[in-house]
Amino acid sequence: MTFDVTILAPHVPFLLKGALLTAEACALALAGSLVIGLIVAALRTSSSVILSRAAFIYVDLFRNIPFIVQLFFFFYGLPEIGIYIDAFTTGVIALSIAGGAFSSDVIRSGILAIDTGILEAAEVSGLSRSVIFRKIVMPIALRTSIRPLGSVFINLVLTSSILSTITLNELTGSAKIVASDTFRPFEVYAVLLIVYASLTYLVSLAIGALHRHLNRDRMPEVA
Amino acid sequence: MISVRGVRKSFGSATVLDGIDLEVHRGEVVSILGSSGSGKSTLVRCINGLEKLDGGRITVDDFDVSHPKQLAEARKRSATVFQLFNLYPHMTAVQNVTLAPIQVLKQSRTQAESAARALLDSVGLGARADAYPAQLSGGQRQRVGICRALAMKPSYLLLDEITSALDPEMTAEVLSILARLAKTGTTMVFVTHEIEFARTISSRIVFLDKGQLVVDLPTGQFFAPDGGMSKPRIAQFLSKMRKD
Repeated sequence: MTFDVTILAPHVPFLLKGALLTAEACALALAGSLVIGLIVAALRTSSSVILSRAAFIYVDLFRNIPFIVQLFFFFYGLPEIGIYIDAFTTGVIALSIAGGAFSSDVIRSGILAIDTGILEAAEVSGLSRSVIFRKIVMPIALRTSIRPLGSVFINLVLTSSILSTITLNELTGSAKIVASDTFRPFEVYAVLLIVYASLTYLVSLAIGALHRHLNRDRMPEVA
Repeated sequence: MISVRGVRKSFGSATVLDGIDLEVHRGEVVSILGSSGSGKSTLVRCINGLEKLDGGRITVDDFDVSHPKQLAEARKRSATVFQLFNLYPHMTAVQNVTLAPIQVLKQSRTQAESAARALLDSVGLGARADAYPAQLSGGQRQRVGICRALAMKPSYLLLDEITSALDPEMTAEVLSILARLAKTGTTMVFVTHEIEFARTISSRIVFLDKGQLVVDLPTGQFFAPDGGMSKPRIAQFLSKMRKD
């Protein structure tokens, strides 16, 4: 057998469409899981027992269920009780919720690592709790948690391939179709490997840039 | 006026403040002396509401710090400078100084920034206004800390061992700023181990020992042989500190 990627040429537009769908779903899910992660981390570190307990249950629940089961529940389970959501939206929501559980844990440890003296200084200067969270807690927590958040986000991109199981022809879904059309799975999946690696590499580049920006005050020490 | 009446505070079984009475009037510079663990810092932390009182009452201009709503008012009237600076690490010097004036005093950004730059300039940091705390020396950081407190135009400045983490040279640069502030009539509660300096700027000296107020005397009297020095605990403390 010869390795010949040119055979895929006619399928490039179709694969590109799939890649674009993956990129879109991932971008939305990254944003979604960051927002959920921040909110849940705030709740978990709040002084309210009920809120922190509820946030803990959410994190514990979604970290302990396989993603594909969560996805099937949303896509195939919910319609049984009259809730219909299209495949793309379901995928983005499911990824955001699952990613949010992991992100919140990372952000929470960033929050807990903040020097209490800094928070006391903010408190005595009369800043409101919401200002303290937005202007001080969040940016300082993100400084330390942005790298581990990057791992969560990369995982999210990889996990997005599972969306192909709910009829969504994203990158993996369209690759499967092309593979069965051409009978050339080796070439198709070789290309797929490279495309996923590039996507996650882009994410780590962005995370690296963000890390440098958030820690710009101590850049000389951080290579 | 800051009024401290019968204040008690314990951490677990350890009584840190055991019935403290103290008044600080506007224009006074009151230094609080005492050995480590005597309760000096805890007293300041009670005044700015960082510690809950176990007994007694503290008011700042008649606002009771034990009531959440009044605490907000009390905090508008005082500002604290901390031993370990506690600057916001992700913000430049000028951003550290302007955050609260913009958010709490509702100053415009331009107004707050020009005031902050003038303040930083007055403590010799005009050229470092856009540096981050990690890029500043300890003495420079503490000077930013003082500017951050002053930017709130407080009636009372609470200084909690602000030179304890600094070497002698940096201590001198910070103390010279306090000396200038004292001359301008800024009210200060100055928790310190810098006895000689306290002597030069204070109108009154308070001595705490084991959570109790031993004396509260005008500075001259505190150092007089028949004044504070007549108390064995104070004589012992001063002679030890001077040997170091």
